[in-house]
Amino acid sequence: MKIFITDGTPSTFFTAVFDAFREKECVITSDRQVQLSFDSEVIRVGCDEQKCERVRNGIAKYDRLAEEEIALALRSCDPLKEQTAFEYIRKLMNVKAPVRKMLNAPEVIEFNDIVYKVTGETHRLKGFLRFMENSAGVLYAPYSPDNNITDLLMEHFAERLKSEKFVIHDLKRKIAGMYDGNEWIMGYAGEAEVYLSEYERTFENLWKKYYNSVNIKERPHEKQMKGYMPVRYWKFLPEKN
Amino acid sequence: MIDEEKLEILTESAKYDVSCSSSGSRRTNKSGGIGNGSVGGICHSFTPDGRCISLLKILMSNECLYDCEYCPNRRSADVPRARLTPDEVCELVINFYKRNYIEGLFLSSAVFDSPDKTMELLTETVVKLRKVYNFNGYIHLKGIPHADGAIVMKAAKTVDRMSYNVELPSEQSLKLLAPQKTKQSLLLPMKSLNEAIQYDKLNKIRHGKVLPAGQTTQMIIGASPESDGRILKLSEALYRNMNLKRVYYSSYIPVVKSSKLPDVGAGLLREHRLYQADWLIRYYGFSVNEICDEQENLPQEYDPKCAWALRNMHLFPVEINTAPLETLLRVPGIGAKSAYRITEARKFSKLDFDNLAKMRIVLKRAKHFITCKGKFYGSDSFAQVKTALLIAGSNEVNEQLTMFSETSTALSALTGEI
Repeated sequence: MKIFITDGTPSTFFTAVFDAFREKECVITSDRQVQLSFDSEVIRVGCDEQKCERVRNGIAKYDRLAEEEIALALRSCDPLKEQTAFEYIRKLMNVKAPVRKMLNAPEVIEFNDIVYKVTGETHRLKGFLRFMENSAGVLYAPYSPDNNITDLLMEHFAERLKSEKFVIHDLKRKIAGMYDGNEWIMGYAGEAEVYLSEYERTFENLWKKYYNSVNIKERPHEKQMKGYMPVRYWKFLPEKN
Repeated sequence: MIDEEKLEILTESAKYDVSCSSSGSRRTNKSGGIGNGSVGGICHSFTPDGRCISLLKILMSNECLYDCEYCPNRRSADVPRARLTPDEVCELVINFYKRNYIEGLFLSSAVFDSPDKTMELLTETVVKLRKVYNFNGYIHLKGIPHADGAIVMKAAKTVDRMSYNVELPSEQSLKLLAPQKTKQSLLLPMKSLNEAIQYDKLNKIRHGKVLPAGQTTQMIIGASPESDGRILKLSEALYRNMNLKRVYYSSYIPVVKSSKLPDVGAGLLREHRLYQADWLIRYYGFSVNEICDEQENLPQEYDPKCAWALRNMHLFPVEINTAPLETLLRVPGIGAKSAYRITEARKFSKLDFDNLAKMRIVLKRAKHFITCKGKFYGSDSFAQVKTALLIAGSNEVNEQLTMFSETSTALSALTGEI
């Protein structure tokens, strides 16, 4: 069986889809830990602009919204994300019409699940991300999301904090989005040293005070709190530290 | 800058207001400004009582002229008092918002000096926040009863949502427990705001709309003797006549000792059942008459939809592949989202029981009320169905709303943060 290994970017993925499309049984993955069996043939896929373009056009021909959904799925932390997206594309090509509402087809169920987890985490982190202000007035938000969603958050915050400067730093993937008050870019970012502004602790303490005061002690419901706000996000929340 | 103690006093005083949703407004950010609206609403944190923090919920002042029995801030209560200046509120909002602690402001106040003075200061604050501090995020403002209509209208043009709390489910209870507030002082401003909103809608006004996120209200449950049926009738009328976005129910907690108030709280289950019934009215096409008689309370052991289905067994089972959406919505255990998924999926192929399970439609209740391709998987005996629903229901109450833990925008809209 052929195993197509990509570098995780959408363009190598689409190239791999092109190469894999005629194969009966094959796997596309960006996972380096993939399990090989005795008959597996490993193929490292590079980016081929032409193949990539043809796949993109093929998808757009039947469903012009699918490419964006696939881009979302490829941000997932799921090790099977490429394979799931590949099977979704196959389904789309077979049916020759949008398949997202075939909610009963296993390919569609699995694909929608992955997309749902990515958009769900993005939505949550629009709320749970926390900025701190450094001495130069730049806002800095470290976090470590399950999925690779930093650019989606950049879009949201660049609109919201239009006239601020800010950095969103994904510590897990060592990447950061930077906004200078005008436009934003993504880049590599290892570790960051932050000198906080003189008011930072004051506002953090006011926020903690607020958090503790607004709770109604007579109605404890911790399970619900944890359900809505999973403990893995608490590390970066001042009110929980 | 505001000090911690003041913040604590004015937060403690504001926390019993249930509403905290930040949805319904698409306000855009202006150049040089900060903030925008997110139409599905965004929760920024959750407190150990399981409630979300979306807005900075705070009182301008807790110095009150009124003496409402149930209120911890009533005139005769011996509690520390504080008052904020407009600038203190604005600074706090901007700095919390910048750090992404909050989605906006929920500003309310006790009635100090006079209703007009209070409303004026609230309005001055929100106008300042918009004009001077350039804030375009979400603002929910509480309306002060008896305040001048012109000031209220000025505020309504500035904020996203307003609420006049009806406080208690009947006029008699209001007279007894909140003697300075009258039914008219709460309903008249609600009515004129609704007229202004409807005017904008009719004339397709896009910019500078009055209250883009509409109005809400809140009432206390269990501090007075009204039945659930009566409460729901009132809600239904408010939804119909005032076009409210939400009615919030707050189960009574005895924080204040008074001979006019019960010693025990109403309990969370009653509140939960009322919310379930409220959803049935708004999203599932039920009328109050079908759910609950005017003099009665909702059953504790079943959710209101199950209870309705048990009384109407002759309408079931329904065929999953042919029943219209309105009918699917009435099947116990099938929610709005599942019903929609079924109607979409069955356009492509007929669904059997396994298909439903794979689509993660919860069937432990629904299976007694549906057929798939003509096959029935539930129990034939009415007594067994009752027991099964009872067991399914007892798990659900323990978990209450945690099953919605995978929130996304669409889901928050469904679960009613709107």
